[in-house]
Amino acid sequence: MTAQPITGRIQLPLLIVASVFLVGVMPLLNAYGLIEDFTLNLWGKYLCYGIMAISIDLLWGYTGLLCLGQALFFTLGGYMMGMHLMLMIGKLGQYKSNLPDFMVFLGHSKIPAFWQPFYSFPFALAMVFLVPALLAYVFGYLAFRSRIKGVYFSILTQALTYGAALLFFRNDLLMGGNNGFTDFRTLLGMDLRVASTQRILYICTALLMVSVVAGCKWLTHSRFGLIQRAIRDSENRVLFSGYATANFKLFIFVVSAMIAAFAGALYVPQVGIINPSEMTTEKSLEAVVWVALGGRGTLVGPVVGAISVNALKSWATRAYPDLWVLILGGSFVLVVMFMPKGIVGLPAQILTILSKISRKQQSIDSPPSISEPETIDP
Amino acid sequence: MLKSFFVTTLPQTCLVGLALGLSFFTTAQAQVTEKSVRETVASAIVAQPAAAQRELILSLKLKPSAEAVEWFGKWKEGAIFLLDDAAGVKTPVILTGAAAADDSFATLRVSDGTPLLGADGAAVRINPKEVEFAETDSGIRRAMKEVTDVVALADPDISKRLRAIQDAAVGQKVEKLPALQLLKTTEKNPLALRALEESIAIIQLRSPLVAERIGACQKLGDLGSLAALGTIKTILAETESAKDRPLVLAAEKAISAIGSHISRINAAGTAFRGISLASVLLVVAIGLAITFGLMGIINMAHGELIAVGAYTTYVIQNIFASGLNLSPFGMSISIPGMHLSAGGMDLYFVVALPASFLAAALVGLVLERTVIQFLYRRPLESLLATWGISLVLQQLFRLIFGANNVQVSSPSWLSGNWTVNDVVFGWNRVFVIGFAALIIVVTWLVLNKTSLGLLIRAVMQNRNMAACMGVRTERVNMMTFAFGCGLAGLAGAFLSQIGNVGPSLGQNYIVDAFMTVVVGGVGNILGTVISAFGIGMADQSLQQYLGNPVIGKILVLGAIILFLQWRPAGIFVTRSRSLD
Repeated sequence: MTAQPITGRIQLPLLIVASVFLVGVMPLLNAYGLIEDFTLNLWGKYLCYGIMAISIDLLWGYTGLLCLGQALFFTLGGYMMGMHLMLMIGKLGQYKSNLPDFMVFLGHSKIPAFWQPFYSFPFALAMVFLVPALLAYVFGYLAFRSRIKGVYFSILTQALTYGAALLFFRNDLLMGGNNGFTDFRTLLGMDLRVASTQRILYICTALLMVSVVAGCKWLTHSRFGLIQRAIRDSENRVLFSGYATANFKLFIFVVSAMIAAFAGALYVPQVGIINPSEMTTEKSLEAVVWVALGGRGTLVGPVVGAISVNALKSWATRAYPDLWVLILGGSFVLVVMFMPKGIVGLPAQILTILSKISRKQQSIDSPPSISEPETIDP
Repeated sequence: MLKSFFVTTLPQTCLVGLALGLSFFTTAQAQVTEKSVRETVASAIVAQPAAAQRELILSLKLKPSAEAVEWFGKWKEGAIFLLDDAAGVKTPVILTGAAAADDSFATLRVSDGTPLLGADGAAVRINPKEVEFAETDSGIRRAMKEVTDVVALADPDISKRLRAIQDAAVGQKVEKLPALQLLKTTEKNPLALRALEESIAIIQLRSPLVAERIGACQKLGDLGSLAALGTIKTILAETESAKDRPLVLAAEKAISAIGSHISRINAAGTAFRGISLASVLLVVAIGLAITFGLMGIINMAHGELIAVGAYTTYVIQNIFASGLNLSPFGMSISIPGMHLSAGGMDLYFVVALPASFLAAALVGLVLERTVIQFLYRRPLESLLATWGISLVLQQLFRLIFGANNVQVSSPSWLSGNWTVNDVVFGWNRVFVIGFAALIIVVTWLVLNKTSLGLLIRAVMQNRNMAACMGVRTERVNMMTFAFGCGLAGLAGAFLSQIGNVGPSLGQNYIVDAFMTVVVGGVGNILGTVISAFGIGMADQSLQQYLGNPVIGKILVLGAIILFLQWRPAGIFVTRSRSLD
């Protein structure tokens, strides 16, 4: 992915402007009542999705690993945060018990041992990273060690997600069954239902996203990123050059799982609910759609894709509830077939087409003396 | 066919033998030979005293017939009326015809069915509210019950007879023993004989003779009688306190024998369910083994092609019945039905099978031409594009057929089951197994014995080389993809017989189908067969062992991931020197 000449030059200032707008201007406008609380909350959600999309792109766009389990890591992070939030409800729940409502409902009288440490916020925050990272490490170790790649990797991650969703739908896992966690009250002593708390959460999300983009920019432009892209383009050559590609892939897999998990952890207090239906393969595939639509192999593309698809979804599910899925599915097929570089790559694609046309025009005007080697769009 | 075979096994002659063995008839025996059933009933109604009534009723045991049961019913309901003539002799009659203006009905004699004539020769009409009716007391009803039981035991329909035999054991009444033992001497049907032995032994558990009780325990243990398990346990509890050592031993032995019988049944049932699940997996995955395994297309819309097949079956079923009204996109489409009778309806599935194959193949053909042909060199992107297609198709199903499941009824020759040695084999499951075998054989023949198969294999192994040799690869791709999709459609016709048909039908099977193909080894039909059986059996055994379907499924998924550690390319590896 060499930087395009025109888009490359304007990229950095554009990025800075966008970051300042997202992190600073939007919450300010909200504080002065120019942006509704609902809109800001919605954008917080979009940004969480955007971060998850970056984590997918890190794997798919930069390393060539299409992971259909990213929704699993996202939801796992959300669940870890959700456990802390559930305990923070305390006696304010429907049953006026120290236990989360669903446990009372299931007839438990004591908080299970593995829930106990989640009273502490730092522990919950640590778990947000550690649990998905551990799962990604174990699964990735097994998968990359036996050189499972390409579509096999996708299908296996799909199976992993499917199995995990089945597990979380069960009540006896003590994670809320198919209702999941909801009805949160406070986070670090702040009431989650007031606008100022939500604004702080939004700022955290926007900051996280800016830092994730910056961090990934650095990572992908380092020597590591070079090898990462080399693995994507020809893994065997990298392997034969003496690099342990499995370790590189494992590292990037774990990192992307942690990024997705952090996004999930920020998503839960903003949306106010987490349940296993977020964990299904469809959700993963939907997130892959954002990346494909926005433009993979770039860092801005996934965010653009996530925001635009979700904004479209918010509008279309209200305007055309029946046709919305047709729009999503149809646009997806079209993007895959005709816009391999997505929205972000669209200007470049149009320029290529234009230059091709003009070159053809030229060649008609003046018959060529030397035949140029044709450049084919990959 | 089976039914008619059973029906003919009980000749009427044995009924007479059954009746003759019953010893408590004295006077009634002579009368019954010349009197018809209704005459006997009529004389029983007017007989005096009650003992004579009972005797007359019991005399009907000699001639067990459904007619007697019918008359008893009328008697008990109070539908038989008693008319006094001038001499004070009562005549039992029933009402007939419609009520006249004064609420009176015409009458018929119970004894011979002729109209009752008055002294003036005109037919007598009575108002049921003003005339007394024949009453019954508990003694009479008990006698009637005895006759009814005997009639049921002599029922020519084997399934009704079996139920009567099994019912006879309920309550362990010793007085029912003679009738059962007598039936045993004449009964020819092996199923009924086994049931008789079982019922007799269960009643004998309550016999006053200890030796007989021990014998009964042994017998029930040998038979592996599921019905007797509870009773034997009660006996054991009772005798343990009574310190009757030999009986306790016999009962314990019987319980363990029945227990091992139960575990054998469970094992056989699990194996059967495993094989049938494996067949379902196989039918679902075989199409994928072609589109994914041979062509390398990750067809996420495979599940929706299965649903296309299932919905085609639904439409065909409705065409055979009363038609179908669909309203997609605000339009109103009305498909007329043929209003066939039950016999014709049974044939709908025969038509639905090829129709669902063709419908799904057609959809596959359109997909291949419009989308997939551009993605042969980009497998990951084919995954994404086909997922988009699957979303669109699912939504189309919802818009056309509604979001709820639709009703597909099985033809009568697919509903029902065999019970062999207490193991239940559903016909639809047996059919799925047979059909899976057929599909495999056909697929193998197409791929290995036809020229199309040769071309398919050539193109899949090396597309460029095949093209150089003059193979029209585009056309072969098209045909192969359509064939794989058609197989998915067939799978859909099948799943409609054993599960729900709804818009998300395909989603329930897609992960399993991919797993089956991946474990089997891509590009290998035999591998798919073996992996389907492995996964199916493992799934059902774990389910049986853990008693929990979800945990079983999760363990199977985990096992698959570990299995791929050991054999990353599946059971059968396609050998190749090419690198990526």
